[in-house]
This record gives sequence, structure tokens and C-alpha cells, in this order.
Amino acid sequence: MLVVTVTPTYTGCPATAVINLDIETKLRSNGIENLRLEQRISPAWTTAWLSQEGREKLRKYGIAPPVEGTSKTGRISRLSSNEALVVACPRCGSDKTEKVSQFGSTPCKAAYRCRSCLEPFDYFKCH
Amino acid sequence: MYAQMVKTDTTKVRDLSEMSAQERAFQERIDRGEKIEPTDWMPDGYRKTLIRQIGQHAHSEIVGQLPEGNWITRAPTLERKAILLAKVQDEAGHGLYLYCAAETLGVSRDELIELLHAGKMKYSSIFNYPTLTWADIGAVGWLVDGAAIMNQVPLQRTSFGPYSRAMIRICKEESFHQRQGYDIMMKMAGGNEAQRRMAQDALDRFWYPSLMMFGPSDKESVHSAQSMAWKIKINTNDELRQKFVDQTVPQAQYLGLTVPDEHLKWNEDKGSYDFSEPDWNEFFEVLKGNGPCNRERMEARVKAWEDGEWVRDALMAHADKREASRTAAE
Amino acid sequence: MTEPGDKIANDVFFDWLLRRGDTALVLGHRVSEWCGHSPVLEEDIALANIALDLIGQARLWLSLAGEVEGKGRGENELAYLRDAWDFRNLLLAEQPNGDFGQTMMRQFLIDAYQSQLLKALATSADNRVAEIAVKAGKEVDYHLDRSADLVIRLGDGTSESRQRMQAALESLWPYSGEMFKGDAVDQAVVAAKIAPSPEGLRTEWLSTVDAVFTEATLSKPETDFAHTGGLTGRHTEHLGHILADMQFLQRAYPGATW
Repeated sequence: MLVVTVTPTYTGCPATAVINLDIETKLRSNGIENLRLEQRISPAWTTAWLSQEGREKLRKYGIAPPVEGTSKTGRISRLSSNEALVVACPRCGSDKTEKVSQFGSTPCKAAYRCRSCLEPFDYFKCH
Repeated sequence: MYAQMVKTDTTKVRDLSEMSAQERAFQERIDRGEKIEPTDWMPDGYRKTLIRQIGQHAHSEIVGQLPEGNWITRAPTLERKAILLAKVQDEAGHGLYLYCAAETLGVSRDELIELLHAGKMKYSSIFNYPTLTWADIGAVGWLVDGAAIMNQVPLQRTSFGPYSRAMIRICKEESFHQRQGYDIMMKMAGGNEAQRRMAQDALDRFWYPSLMMFGPSDKESVHSAQSMAWKIKINTNDELRQKFVDQTVPQAQYLGLTVPDEHLKWNEDKGSYDFSEPDWNEFFEVLKGNGPCNRERMEARVKAWEDGEWVRDALMAHADKREASRTAAE
Repeated sequence: MTEPGDKIANDVFFDWLLRRGDTALVLGHRVSEWCGHSPVLEEDIALANIALDLIGQARLWLSLAGEVEGKGRGENELAYLRDAWDFRNLLLAEQPNGDFGQTMMRQFLIDAYQSQLLKALATSADNRVAEIAVKAGKEVDYHLDRSADLVIRLGDGTSESRQRMQAALESLWPYSGEMFKGDAVDQAVVAAKIAPSPEGLRTEWLSTVDAVFTEATLSKPETDFAHTGGLTGRHTEHLGHILADMQFLQRAYPGATW
């Protein structure tokens, strides 16, 4: 029996059911019938788990991948620490970008804007 | 459709020979399927029309939070609550994204919001209808998001780069919402008698307003022709409405619900359904402000804006203080 | 994970888990009331996000509570089919939203406490508790960053905003003491090495809030008076209304599946 462990990015992630269904459908369509999905929250998901390929796919889709090493290790870090973060525009590559909102359309993203090509884009937050 | 009856300031669509060299080059780029980017030259009419269209779309996302937010605190299970919250967050995020796309055209979000509050810009007519039962949350996902997707999928090919890329991302998330909405409808339609009644009632109330989302027939409209020449509109309203009906009727049948249209009939010759037009008088009344919830929706948005003024002022004042102390330190 | 401590009775452990789950649930409910009505679009997004995280955490805690109780109740039975006297949330969590400043102050006071508590729970002798705490702790740290930042910016903003934030602090402060008053339930979880003692969390919490209030130019109220009762089921009038709203469908249509 194939056991697939699935870890949600956030406790409130509403996509987990759909993601599970997609995983199962894909495996079954590849002839794997004897399988079980296991939801596990520990160890907690982190953006460090993103593969290089995954990061590249995000960028191509228009989402800037997380800048590693910028996740918070606790206590209040305030605005200032975030302001120093350089996020490259996924469209033109410019690093002249600014944060519009700490949260984007989903919990895992923040909203940014490129000051060079003006593109609004999402940044996948490091956590 | 989240943008309805967008005007173009055009009285006649000109052909290439009637244009200036600059305009002609612009139109030829569009005809070749190239994307227009914010820093490129563009005719004033193109810019203004896009601001109206993207702005209306953004406003719709924001006002659209209200009918759905109406059920967040009453969602029947914690999972449904989480899904609905995530959906509303998604929509606010789309609104933000679209306002940013509009800002690339040289208008500020504050200006757009002021125009909305002054009644000078519109949002989709659909959000002036109430959500009266939990099944309405399902119907909004299934029908309203379904109709929005129908319109937005072709807009992924629109000529304006940021709008096109916004549509690609938004469509992906919207199709997620539609799946979740249909899932609620399945549960309701397969539930107890009261739930089935709620499901049918939701379809009865949302069917025609959903058809209205595409706007009245625009086969003869000069605005529509101009927008299509600029590729900021891809299909006519009637084409999209027909596609929506053809997609939705079998889904309603699968749910065991009855579409509230006695003239609805499969037409073998044209390979699609014949159906009744919505009551366009009602549509124009809703646009004029006489829909069931126009007053509540605008009051809620204006109140949020006015109540929040001290917050926005404080954030600005604090930012100024910071800037001042930074400058002083240098 | 820590070595196991004393054995704990299921009903006591259950009670302690409800305190975690109910506080997250009730606070999440309050925050979700802002949806579409906040001062600026970024806040609509952020508040929905925070409410979503809190509901997610409530689901984890309540599911575990149901498992420990062992009577077949799950997250939904616990959230939707208990009356107010069986709820174990902090009184602070159920206080009305008030203006945006009051909502942020309530959030900050709770975030600062939760962040610390969850950090301690990450080494709980109960593995299930530790797992939830690690997951939720990451989210709460993020919430704390934001709520602390907003308290500072609104406190040190305009004279009107400072006045509003000071008023918010004064009205909510008497509800903060409840977080640090331990009882027999706490003693049992401490003995079982499941959780730290509430009293022990106070010093660090105070240093966090003091630092933020100083930067926000706000004065901490002198009073040590604390309203209590939420953790043992004696609530303010507000909780009944929250439940009437939240539980309506489950109560009106018993046994339906949604």
C-alpha cells in the first residue's frame, strides 16, 4: 500500500480537500490503486520544502518565490525587518518593488508592485 | 460578468485608414495579438475605457464581499466557515490586485473608491440581490462565479498585459470557488426537505439575475464594437449568456432542481438551449439604484470608509513621523 | 517532546483543550464580523486571513478535545451544540469589536499571550498538543507582528487615534488578567507536563506589552482588577448572542448534513 503524507501550508487552508482529491486522482490515473492519504501537521510545513523546480514554476506563473532565510523566528519583528526584504519582480526581474499588502488573496501570499514595469504581483511569503 | 455596459467614449469605430500613424501602429499591435503594457503609448479612449472596466470589476469584488460575508458567522460547519472565509479573502485579494492593475493606467485607488461612493462608478448588478438562506451561498458560487468565469476566461487573452495576467490568476481561483459552491448545492439538493426547498428557492431567485450579469444584448452597440476592436472585450454578451445557459442547465438537472423558465428547451438545430430573456426593466432599475439591496450595499461601504477615516489618517501621520525621524537621523 | 508527567483525567484534559479551542473559535468569530467593513482593503484581507487561521486552529483543538473526551463528539458537535455555560473561552475573546482600534487592541493582548503559550506548548509531553502548537504558533507569531505594529502606528498616529487606542486599552485591560489566573485544571496539566502554568507566562507577556505600549505612546492602566469566569463557563452577555448567530442552522435543522 502506498501511503502519501500531505501537510497543509496553513491550518486554515481551505484547499486541502481539493489537493487531496487531485493527488488521489493523479495516482489512480497512473494505475496505483492501493493507496491511502494521510494528513499530518507535524513537522510543520515550511517554504524550505519547495523544490527549485517548484520555485521556478511559481515565478513563471507570476508569483515571486519566497526569499529564503526571511521567515520569522518569533517575537515581534515589526515593520522595519520587512522593509529590507528585496523581492524581485517575477515579470521583469527588477528589484525595485514595493509591498502593497502583507496579505494577498490567499494566506500564503503578500501583494507587491513593481516600480519598474508597474506589474502588480504576488509574493509567496517565507515561513 | 463583473463589468457591465462599459462605455468607450466612441461614436464610431474607425478603420486603420482613419487613424493617426501612432494609433494605427497601436491597433496593429493589438491585431497581431501583442500585449500592451502600462509604459507603452496608448490612445486616451483605450486608457479611459480600461480604467472604467477594471475599476468596475474591482468594485464588484469588494461589494461582493457583503452578500457572502452575510453568512460567514452563520456557516453551518467549521469547514464550510473556513472555506467561505477563504473565498471572501480571495475576493478582496482580487479587488486589491485589480485596483493595482487600474493604477498602472494612472488613476489612484482612492479616486476610484470616491467615484464608487459618489455613485459615479458601478459594480455588478448581481450584488444588489440578497443572500437569504445558506443555499444562496452555494448558488452564488455555482451561478454567479460560474457566470463571472464565463466572462473572464476569454479576457485572459485581452490586449492589456496586467489585466490579462490578472484574469489568468483570478480565473484559476474562481473555478475553485465555483466547485465549492456547487458542492454546497449538492449537499442541499440531496439533503432534507427544508434543504431541498432552500436549494430550489436559491436557484429561483438567482437564475435571472445571473443571466443579467452579462448585460443586455450588445450586438448593435458601438461601445461593444470598439471594445472588441481593442480586444478588451472578446465575445458579445449574447454569446456568453448562451454558453452559460448551456453549461448550467445540465448541472441543475443533475442536482434535481428546476430552472425557473417554462420556455427553456433544447434546440437540436442550433445545438443549444432556447431560453427566456431576463426582465431587462428590472435590470435597468437595479442599475439605477432600485435593486433589493443597493441602498444597504452602498451604505455599508460608505460607513466602512467613513468609520475608517481616523485609522487611515493615523497610519499616514505615523508614516510621516517615521519619515521625519529618518530624515533627521541622516 | 518532554518526558510524560503525571497521568491526567480525561475530563480535565478535555476542559483544558476546550479553553484553547473555544478561545480561538470565539475570537475568530469576532474577527470574521469585520469582513467587508474594515477601514481599508488591506485590512479586509488581513482580518479575513486572521479569522481563517483562528478557525483553523479551533478545528484542531476541538477535534483533539473530542478525541480525548471519547464520546464521539467532533469539532462541529462541540462548536455548534454546546450552550454558553459549556464554553471555556477567555472573556476577552468574546468582547465586541467596537471600533477598529478596540479590535486591534483585543487582538494584540491575546496574540502576545498566545504566542508565548504556544511556544511553551511546542515542548508539551503530549505529542498531539505539541504538533498543534508548532503549527498554530507560526501563524500567531505573524498575527502578533501585525497587531503589535498596528497598536504602535495607531497609538503614535494622530491625537484622535491615540485617544481611541488609550480608551481601547482601558476598557479591555481588566479582561487581560484572566489569562494568567491558574486553577485546578491548570495544575493538572502542569503536573502532566502538558502545559506551563499560566502565572509563569505573565512576566514575559508584560515585557512584550510594555515595550509596545511605550512605543505606541500609550499608558498602561494602573488597575490589577481582572474579570474572570470565561474559563469556567461564566460568560458575559455577549457570548449568548455569538452562539445564537453561529449555531443558528445547526439548531434550526437538527441532524441535517451540510
